[in-house]
Amino acid sequence: MRRIFQIDGEETECWLSHDGTNLIVNMPDGSVPCRLDPTSEPGGYVLRARGRVQELRLAVGPDATFVHLNGRAYAIGRVDPAERLAGSDSGAADDRIIAPMPGVVVAVNAKPGDQVKEGQILLVIESMKLETSLAAPRDGVVAEIPFAAGDSFGLKATLAQLAPEED
Amino acid sequence: MRRIESQIDTNAPDFKANHAAMTERLKEFHARQHAARFERPQRDIDRLARQNKLGVRERLKLLLDPGTPFLEFSTLAACREYDGAVPGAAVVTGIGIVQGREVAIHANDASVKGGAWYPHTVKKIVRLLDVALENRLPVIHICDSAGGFLPLQHGVFPDRYLGGRVFRNQVKLSQANIPQVAIVGGHCTAGGAYVPTLSDYNVIIEGTGAIFLGGPPLVKAATGEEVGVQELGGAVMHTSVSGTGDYRAATEEHAFSLAREIVSQWKRTPKTIIETASFEEPYYEPKELYGIIPKDRKTQFDMREVLARIVDGSRFHEYQPDYGTTMICGYAHIWGYKVGILANNGVLFNDSSLKAAHFIQLCNQNRTPLVFFQNITGYMVGREYEERGIAKDGAKMLMAQGGSVVPKFTVIANASYGAGNYGMCGRAWDARTLFMWPQAEIGVMGADQAANTMADVKIRQLEREGKKLSDEEIAAIRDPVLEKFRHDVEAYTSTSELWDDGILDPADTRNALGMSISASLNAPIDDPHYGIFRL
Repeated sequence: MRRIFQIDGEETECWLSHDGTNLIVNMPDGSVPCRLDPTSEPGGYVLRARGRVQELRLAVGPDATFVHLNGRAYAIGRVDPAERLAGSDSGAADDRIIAPMPGVVVAVNAKPGDQVKEGQILLVIESMKLETSLAAPRDGVVAEIPFAAGDSFGLKATLAQLAPEED
Repeated sequence: MRRIESQIDTNAPDFKANHAAMTERLKEFHARQHAARFERPQRDIDRLARQNKLGVRERLKLLLDPGTPFLEFSTLAACREYDGAVPGAAVVTGIGIVQGREVAIHANDASVKGGAWYPHTVKKIVRLLDVALENRLPVIHICDSAGGFLPLQHGVFPDRYLGGRVFRNQVKLSQANIPQVAIVGGHCTAGGAYVPTLSDYNVIIEGTGAIFLGGPPLVKAATGEEVGVQELGGAVMHTSVSGTGDYRAATEEHAFSLAREIVSQWKRTPKTIIETASFEEPYYEPKELYGIIPKDRKTQFDMREVLARIVDGSRFHEYQPDYGTTMICGYAHIWGYKVGILANNGVLFNDSSLKAAHFIQLCNQNRTPLVFFQNITGYMVGREYEERGIAKDGAKMLMAQGGSVVPKFTVIANASYGAGNYGMCGRAWDARTLFMWPQAEIGVMGADQAANTMADVKIRQLEREGKKLSDEEIAAIRDPVLEKFRHDVEAYTSTSELWDDGILDPADTRNALGMSISASLNAPIDDPHYGIFRL
């Protein structure tokens, strides 16, 4: 798999090879042989490519490399391929909060009709010496919270239900 | 490896309240640790000065390479025993750097009861020598002890893991070609005489150091012979007449320079090679842990937020992120060393136990050390789970964990209850080091559950006798039990009893683990092999 870099906001795929003398930067639109030799300056290099000789400076950070060239600085960000390729769609959020284990309701923080935000705590349950806060899976309106504080519930009981989303 | 994306809002009221509570706890912890290390009655300080002896901390400074870390174990050992009068159990132990190599150090603290061995002293020394054996670390003994504390001799002397085990472990170290040197900076009497004599090398300080099976008073009582300390077992006699001592040192400084020179004569064994990456500090600030750990032990929190403040670059490759989600498994680096991490995000269910067992096997196959972060209230109970074989799946996890050949390290980050403690590599499961955070709790069950169980038994017993108890009478049974249990499950009880290797400021966890992992690589890693998994 080719590496993915972000240069000035644009993603580029490329990979580096070596022909015994020169480095070769392989890009989707072609390959460029080049040489990069350090100078005595800290971070200083001389780049030779396409018949041109160019002095530049490099600073390498954990997530990006900064190139100072012709009085301008460029940030070359490394894009994590697994993250980039995972896709942004994590699936539609569920309308219900299902009990992850049997337990007792400790507190109910919302009532039917309430407008809630994603991540807002709707109720707190206790099981196995642990208190777990259960949050709204998305923005919406509470349709039902069937249990009150002190009630026990079984595994996979519906603890809260949001009103269906209108398109 | 991807960075964990923290969801923590450091301005949230919860974060601030947790931060304040942890800061308060740490103030107490650091004060107690400082007192245990440095605060002594004036008469004890005066006595050492009169005897022309340095304190144990000055001795360590002379021994260790300057500017290198010293991983001190169990600084608060015995803090809840002997009315708190034996700080650190009268001995300092730890892993330090001498002449560029990792060594285990056992140093008597003569400013506490003349360095006498109490039951907890013996436990702490035996533990240190176990650490040396497991990790193949050379040992440096700094001897200055009044001998076993006689009024408690039954807690010091007869049993398998008491006094004799110190010497037995010295023999086992020698047998395993792990070198030892002893610096005799005080009297080594009776059993204590075997610490320098079982060491490959020893140095005796002239004037203060002495070795004998029976001191002058005992000799007088036994045979009537009158003899002084120096003639009986001083540096000159032992290094020139008996050959019991190897090197005579003119001063403490001279003794430690000789000891350092001796260490540099030892053969250096190459360390085990595991996967490494270049060192990277965590991206997220470790001190943010103070606001992440809830002030109420019962409140759930996401262990990924903890990992993000401990591992290199806050980077984590999570294994099976969507399966058995109460058990977080994955790879990360600490101090550049590749590790497999198991961390609790809730109760252990069937699926989370199976995931843990599988991941432990992956790490063994891969020769990747394991780090356990415990926040475990137990394996799930109830009919549904028993029918699915929770005990059988828990057994698989224990079989994989206990059968591991890779080094294991454990941090009790919050709760450590019941069999969850076993599955997550509690003390009995040979973690190379095991540390606790100050708010953490450990017990076979929670204080409330224990108090209720014990009260119920009592109530039913009385009911059978025809007695009906009022609410006040029930409270009178329950409350004292609850109070005792709450005290007993605290980290200070655990660390006092040496059920751990010390309490850590959470922000120091990364370095304690880094040093532990580095030390563990002095020992080779075996090929993986297991017992029978109940499928």
